[in-house]
Amino acid sequence: MMTGDAVNRVLAAYQAIADEARARREQFEKSPLPKIHIGMATCGIASGALETQAAFEAALADRGIEALIHTVGCVGHCYAEPVVIIDHPDSGFPPIFYPEVTPGKAKMLVKLFLEEGDPRFEHVMGATVENEMIPSVMEFARFNREKRVIMERCGRIDPDQIHEYIAEGGYGALTTALCRKPETVIDEIEAAGLRGRGGAGFPTARKWRAARAASGSDKMIVCNADEGDPGAYMDRTLLESNPHQVIEGMIIAALAVGAARGLFYVRAEYPLAVRILTTAVEQARELGFLGTDILGSGLDFDIDLFQGSGAFVCGEETALIRSVEGYRGMPRHRPPYPVEQGIDGRPTVINNVKTLATIPPIVEKGADWFRAIGTAGSPGTAVFSVVGNVTHPGLVEIPMGVTLRDLIFDICGGIPDKKRFKAVQIGGPSGGCLSADFLDTPVDFDALTRAGAMMGSGGMVVMDEDVCMVDVSRYFLDFTQKESCGKCTFCRIGTRHLLDILRRLTRGEGREGDLEQLETLSRAVKQGSLCGLGKTAPNPVLTSLAYFRDEYEAHFKEGRCPSCACRALTAFFIDLDKCARGCDACVGCCPVEAVFTTSNRKKGIDQQLCVKCGECVVACPPDYDAVEKVSPAALVPIIERPPEKNKAES
Amino acid sequence: MEHSLTAEDQAHLEILQTQIKSSPKGRGQLIPLLQMAQKALGYLPDDALSLVADHLSVTRSEVYGVASFYNQFRFNPPGKNPVKVCMGTACHVRGGEIILENFERKLEIREGETTEDREFSIERVACVGCCALAPVALMGEILHGHMAPSKVEGLVLQVRLEKEKAQREAAK
Amino acid sequence: MITLTVDDRTIQAPDGSSVLSACLSAGIIIPHLCWMETDSPAGAPAACRLCLVEIDGFRDPVTACTVPVENGMTVYTGTEVVRSLQKMAFKLLLSVHRVDCKHCPANKACALQDIAKFLGVGLGCKPFERVLKEPEVDTHHPVFDYYPNRCVLCGLCVRICRQRHRQPQLSFAGRGFETVVGYFDADPLAAANCVSCRECLAVCPTGALVERTAFEGSTRGNS
Repeated sequence: MMTGDAVNRVLAAYQAIADEARARREQFEKSPLPKIHIGMATCGIASGALETQAAFEAALADRGIEALIHTVGCVGHCYAEPVVIIDHPDSGFPPIFYPEVTPGKAKMLVKLFLEEGDPRFEHVMGATVENEMIPSVMEFARFNREKRVIMERCGRIDPDQIHEYIAEGGYGALTTALCRKPETVIDEIEAAGLRGRGGAGFPTARKWRAARAASGSDKMIVCNADEGDPGAYMDRTLLESNPHQVIEGMIIAALAVGAARGLFYVRAEYPLAVRILTTAVEQARELGFLGTDILGSGLDFDIDLFQGSGAFVCGEETALIRSVEGYRGMPRHRPPYPVEQGIDGRPTVINNVKTLATIPPIVEKGADWFRAIGTAGSPGTAVFSVVGNVTHPGLVEIPMGVTLRDLIFDICGGIPDKKRFKAVQIGGPSGGCLSADFLDTPVDFDALTRAGAMMGSGGMVVMDEDVCMVDVSRYFLDFTQKESCGKCTFCRIGTRHLLDILRRLTRGEGREGDLEQLETLSRAVKQGSLCGLGKTAPNPVLTSLAYFRDEYEAHFKEGRCPSCACRALTAFFIDLDKCARGCDACVGCCPVEAVFTTSNRKKGIDQQLCVKCGECVVACPPDYDAVEKVSPAALVPIIERPPEKNKAES
Repeated sequence: MEHSLTAEDQAHLEILQTQIKSSPKGRGQLIPLLQMAQKALGYLPDDALSLVADHLSVTRSEVYGVASFYNQFRFNPPGKNPVKVCMGTACHVRGGEIILENFERKLEIREGETTEDREFSIERVACVGCCALAPVALMGEILHGHMAPSKVEGLVLQVRLEKEKAQREAAK
Repeated sequence: MITLTVDDRTIQAPDGSSVLSACLSAGIIIPHLCWMETDSPAGAPAACRLCLVEIDGFRDPVTACTVPVENGMTVYTGTEVVRSLQKMAFKLLLSVHRVDCKHCPANKACALQDIAKFLGVGLGCKPFERVLKEPEVDTHHPVFDYYPNRCVLCGLCVRICRQRHRQPQLSFAGRGFETVVGYFDADPLAAANCVSCRECLAVCPTGALVERTAFEGSTRGNS
C-alpha cells in the first residue's frame, strides 16, 4: 500500500498521459476528413488487406482526395476479410462496415463513396452505429449476441499506437491497482470468480495467492501465448489487435503476486504478433508503465519476450519452463507447482493471454459486473474460434452459458452448402467431438467437460456430413503422436499404437478386436500418462467412439467410409446421365490428368490415376453436378477410357 | 551432416559468429541463440551448433539434443521458396492434406525435402492460426488462404516464371 | 521416521523419501526403470510409469517415485488397476523392443526379464504390432555401441553422465516416438571428450549400451 503522496503521484502521472492520449485521439476523431479503418491482423493480411490498403492509397492520390487511413487489428469477422470501415462524415452516412474489400472495391469506394457520396448499398454489411439510414450490423446475431470483454477493443484501435488504448481508458485499471493493496486486487479477482482461460479453468486468484505466499523474492509472471491447438488462434489475434490489454493485465498480476520480471512466451510461428508485442512493450516502457518506479509508485516490473520453438507440449507449464531454461521441453511431475518452483527455481505464475486480458476490465468495473456475465460456475465470457464447415467462421466472444446450437447456428450462420451438421470438435487435440445430441449443451468449463469435451483454449471446429469421424480421430492422434515429448511410456508408445489402429481403420484394414483395443489402450494412456498432453490425447478417440461408433463399425466391418472422406475407401466417378457433352471443366482442373473424354464426348475418371483430391467436384458446374463419390471404392461404375488415337505408347 | 556449406553459408556463418560473441551467456540463451543462427543461415549446420555450444560452454550433444526437440529447427538447408502447408484442424477438414500432396507432386519432392536446385522445400506446419481461410499454405513469408490444387500449380509456376524472367534480364 | 502401511504391512521410512524408495528398502517389490536411488520425490523423472500404486486419498493410481511418504498413509502396490496399467506399460515397452535375448549381452541380467517374471507375463506384445527403429545399431561412439531397439529410454545413462561430469556427453535427441540417446547426431568427434568412465554402461538396465572391445573399436574407428 502506497502512502497518500505516492497515490497522488501515480494518479497525476496517469492523468497527464491519459490527457495527452485523449487529445490525440480526439484530434483524429474530430477531423472532418474521411477515415478508412482497415483490419490488418494476420487473417486480414492473408486475405489481401495490404493490397487493399495500397489500392486505397493509390486511388486517393489519383483522385486528389484527402482521407485518413487507420490500420487496426482484427474484428474477428474472418469470413469477411479484408474488412474495411469507412467513416465519411461529410456524406451524412454513419460509419459503414464493408466486407471483402478487394483492391477493385477499394478503388470503386474511393470514387463512388468518398468522391460522389454514394455508399454503394450492395456492398455494405451495415452501419457500425444505430441510425436512420442504413441498417446497423447490430441487427445480425453475429454482432448482437456477442459480449466483448476480452476483445472489446480489437479491430477498433491501432495496436501500434499505445495512445489509442489509453484514450479508451487503457492502463486506468493499472493505476487503480497501483493504489490498492496487492491482497485487495487478488480478492477482487477471487470475488469475480475468474478461471484460467488456457483450458483447464483453474481459479486465477488461487494461483496468484499461492505465488504471493511462496518464498523467494525473484518471482516471475509468464504470459503463455504458445497457442498450439490446431484450430485456435484467438491468442494470436488478441496480441495482434490489442497487446496493451494483455500487458496491462500482466503488470497487475505482477503487482498482485510481487513479481519483478515478466515473460511473454509467444510462438515463433506468429511473427506479426511478436513484432507488435515488441513495439507495444517498448511503448509501455517509454510511458513509464514498465521499468523501474512504475508511474512513480516505487514498484519495478519489466517484460521480456521469449519465442517458443514449436513444440505443442510447451503449452504445458512445466515443459514451458524447461524450454525457457534452455532445455528440451519435457514436462515433469507436479508438485512442485510452478508457483512454488518455476523458471530457474523461482516462483512463477503462468497465465494464458485471455486470462490476463480479462484482468483490467475486472479491476476497472469490479467483480460484481464480471459475475453478472456468464454462468455461476464459469463467470465472464469465452472467446471461441469457430472454424471448419461453418458459414461465418471467425472469432466470437460470448457470455459463458450460450448453447452450442446458438453459437454455431445463430451466431455463426450454420453449415454452408445445405449440408447437415455432424459434429463439433471442441478443445483441440485434448478435447472431444460432440454430436448433434449435444447441441443444447451450454458452453462453460464444467458442462463441456461433462460432455466429454473441454473448453481447451477455445478452438471449435464445426464438421458437416462430409467429414469422417474416424479420419478426424486419426488426424488428432497423428498430431499428438508427433507432438508427444517422448518422455513417458504411455504417451510415447501408446499414442503411436492408437494411431496405427486408426490408420488401419481409415484404410479399411481393420482387424478383429481393433475397436476394443482402441478403448482399452485409450483408457490406459489417459490414466497412466505423466502430463496433460498424454492424459487428454485419447479424448478425441473416446468421444468419437462413444458418439459415432457406427462410423467406426462401417470402416471396420464393411470397408466403407459413410462420409466418403477416407480416400482409400472412396472412389470418384462421373454420372454420365448428368454430365454435359462437351463441357471440359473437370479436365482442366485435374492435377493428374485422370479425367478423360468418353466416346460420346462425356467424361470419365481413370481410377488408376485419380488421387481423389475433389477438384473436379468443385469444378463441375452446379447445373450438372455430375461428379459423385462412392464408398467402398469397389462399387464405382466402370467407364472405359477409349483408346488414344494419336499418342504413341511410351 | 551431408550438406557442405556454400560460400554464402560461410559468409553468414562469419557474421553469426560476431553476433553470437556479443550475446549474453547463460543456459537460458540456448534457444534464442539457435533461433538467431537459424535466422542467419536458414538452417543449423554443425558449425552453427558448435558456435552456440562453445559460446554457452555446453557440449555439442547437449545443443543438438535441445535443437532436435523443437519443430522450428532444421538441419538441412531450406529452398529459396520454402513452402509450408498448414495441417491445422480446420485445414485438415477442408483438405490440407490434398494441398500438401499437390505440392509434393508438382515439385517432385516429399515433405521435409528440398528440390535439387534449392528453389523449393516443403514442410508441414502445425496451425498457423488462419483457420477461417483454410486450407492455408505459406510460400516464403506470404500466406495464401483458400488453397486449391489448381492454386498450387499457379504458385509454383509464378515463382518459376519470375526466375526465368530474372535470368533473362540478367543475360541482357 | 515416518510410518506407513503398505499392503497390510507397516513400514518405516525417513521423512522426505518417496513411497517407492520406502517400499524398496522394506523389500517390497515395485517394478521401475527410470528411478535412481538419489531421486527425491520432487526430482524423480516419473517417465517409465511402471511404479504405479494406489494410495488412500488419491483418486487415481500414482507413481510411487513422486509421492513423499506421510504418516498414516495406506498404499496398495498390487491392486487389479495397478497391475493392469503396469502390464499395459510393459507391453508397450516390449512393442518397441527387439526381443532377442539369446544374442543380448544383458540376458539374465535384464530389468525387462525381471519385470516380466514379477508381473507373470511373457515378452510378447500382442495385440500391438512391433515397431522397430532403424538402424539396428549405432556404432559412432568411440566407447560403446547403442542399440535403440533395446533402449527403454529410462534416461539413466543421460542422467548419470550429467551427474558425474559437469559437461554431459550424452543427451536425448529427437522427440516423441523418435527419441534416442544421442551425442550430436552421431558425430564421433563430439563424443571425443568422453572420459570413458563407463558409468552409462553400468546403469543401463537392458543392454542398449554395449561396450565395444578394443579390437572392434580400432577397426570401426578407421571406417
